[in-house]
Amino acid sequence: MPALITIGVWIYKPLVQTFQLATYEWNLLPFSPKVFVGLTNFERLLTLPDMQQAAWNTVLYIVGTLPFSVFLPLAIALVTEDLHPRWRATYRALIFIPMIVPPVVASVVWRWLLHPTNGVVNLTLQNGFGLDPISFFRDTNIAIGSIIFISGWKLIGFATLIFAAAIANVDRTLLEAAQLDGANRWQSITRITLPLISPTLLFMALLSVLLSAQWSFAYINVLTQGGPRGATTNLYYLLWQYGFGTFAVGWSSAAGVILFVAFGLLAWVGLALIRRYSFYDA
Amino acid sequence: MRVLTLLATLFLSTAIAQSYLPPLDPNEDITITFYNYNLASAGLGAQGTQRLIDEFMEANPNVTVEGVGVSSDQMISRIQADVVAGRAPDVAQIVFDDLDFLANGLGITPLEELVAPEELAAHYEGFNPRGLELGRLDGSTYGLAYTFSTPVLWINEDLFRAAGLDPDAPPTTWAAVQAAAQTIQDATDAYGVYVSVFGQFDWMFQSLVLSNSGRVLSEDRSELTFDTPEAIGAVQMLRDLRDAGLKPDLGFNEALEAFLTGNLAMYVQTSAVQSYLLSASQGVFELGAAKLPAFGDKPVQPTNSGSALFILTDDPMKQRAAWELMKFATSERGYTIITTEIGYLPLRPAIVRDPAYLGDWVAANPIVEPNLAQLENLSPWVPFPGPNYKQMALLMMAAVEEAVFGDAPVADVMLDAHERASALMPR
Repeated sequence: MPALITIGVWIYKPLVQTFQLATYEWNLLPFSPKVFVGLTNFERLLTLPDMQQAAWNTVLYIVGTLPFSVFLPLAIALVTEDLHPRWRATYRALIFIPMIVPPVVASVVWRWLLHPTNGVVNLTLQNGFGLDPISFFRDTNIAIGSIIFISGWKLIGFATLIFAAAIANVDRTLLEAAQLDGANRWQSITRITLPLISPTLLFMALLSVLLSAQWSFAYINVLTQGGPRGATTNLYYLLWQYGFGTFAVGWSSAAGVILFVAFGLLAWVGLALIRRYSFYDA
Repeated sequence: MRVLTLLATLFLSTAIAQSYLPPLDPNEDITITFYNYNLASAGLGAQGTQRLIDEFMEANPNVTVEGVGVSSDQMISRIQADVVAGRAPDVAQIVFDDLDFLANGLGITPLEELVAPEELAAHYEGFNPRGLELGRLDGSTYGLAYTFSTPVLWINEDLFRAAGLDPDAPPTTWAAVQAAAQTIQDATDAYGVYVSVFGQFDWMFQSLVLSNSGRVLSEDRSELTFDTPEAIGAVQMLRDLRDAGLKPDLGFNEALEAFLTGNLAMYVQTSAVQSYLLSASQGVFELGAAKLPAFGDKPVQPTNSGSALFILTDDPMKQRAAWELMKFATSERGYTIITTEIGYLPLRPAIVRDPAYLGDWVAANPIVEPNLAQLENLSPWVPFPGPNYKQMALLMMAAVEEAVFGDAPVADVMLDAHERASALMPR
């Protein structure tokens, strides 16, 4: 019962209040007028010039992050699993390092590396290959790829750790039995390891889908501020820019409601998929 | 009857006199909090600001100033949050685009109601009147003008010489800038020019529009006017530079880095980066400075970036302590520290040639002259009105970037943004 009250007070009451506040034009100050504006805040946000682009970019962020949060880490975890324990620890530690670099520091380092006139990458492209410098954060076709790459690069270590832990939990006797039955490496991975870690895989995939647009936030904010011309903005960043720049509680509550509904639906679909496809070694 | 009037006048005048701030009580210790954005940036003025605070506390031993660093773009939302939580700062350094919100949204008390007219007049003695004007709205002074910078055309003199141009005769019009940029790009590997107008603050965009005889907001503050031919013309100038391949598509920080590494010849940016540019260009290239270029023969009207100091507390003793801090910060000594250690303009013109203050320093650093000269024809950075002021500025500035670097015609982009932003004006 105390747990229920706590959840009610700290989660559901603010949630209901958010829905209410979304219909006002107000700046939270107790002495300033609270003007009821109905659905105007939603209308303003949904008709922002960058809205369509932000929605499409959000899809790109979700799809683009999956290789870094699921496929690559899975491959790394599987390959390093067979190494001598000391090398395994070394490789995984190396892969984990980006994870502990603060996002802003990582952004600044990448900005130096990728700078169009002075960056190591561009100087190599120019002097080594005779190519024109690439504006990694200003070219509207490339910028979003740069941001996805940097947030993905930060993520690989974490995901590898999760998958390595899941793989370590797979019952050795099953793998040994398969080996005795003549299964090769590929067969034991696809027939035994993958099905047994499927709950972790699906969980990580769902986490990635729901959070990738948020994970990229810090890099967008430091490196591009959503630009060039909205090419790297996503739903979170756009709504944050317009909603939270001034503490306009109507704008930001409406933004919160939009995100809550959109990602709530996504989470619901994702959880249904997990229930349907997970395999548990009971 | 006459006695009654006399009595009433007497009563009223004492009532008014009493409502001014009491002087500091030497037997009472006061602590005030001071939100300051220079304190939040290690490279750009944190030390100078701390020195200002330390000297003030030395002179006023019973006042303790707790400086809190808050970055300029987060200042207003932080203050709003703190006001709601009941722990607002006592005094804060806030940029000018928040002025309307502070006066009409937050409802802060104008200085005229806090400080006796004689005391105000005494402090305003020798203060640049155009500077003071920037803290005023509808005739009341809500903020005391504090740190100021103007847009300056920074020049890489080495690149000028390499292209056969005279760095001592820098371009004075945008047409000349374009020609010089072309010459430099033909002769060297460097980029021609970058105008750092983009981002969430619109002060430099307002400089360009004003200098093309336009405005972004009507005089009576009732209508957005960045859809006029003058405003669109200012954006078109930037688009022309870009279409001619003379203005690289760089981000805010990328442009700064390109300039510092000698890959950019002309860089229009706030004078607030002066100390930084001076130290960072040492040994890389020779740094020069010129005034903001003109649109043909139209008068250049630079606006300022920068901030005023605002009293946010309601406690009279703290208000007094805050006001004393503000007076010191904007005194002859205060501006000497601000100009030499941070790089902002001194708003007391007399100290510029006075050897007791800035005289020797200015003689040794002639690079500040264009910035000083622009103080003469400074125009206010106009804040947008109403609760949606930030969103309007965001829409406008996003459109400027789209218009300069995108493919759609400049006028289409600006007109569309104007229509959207106008819907957010207070009704």
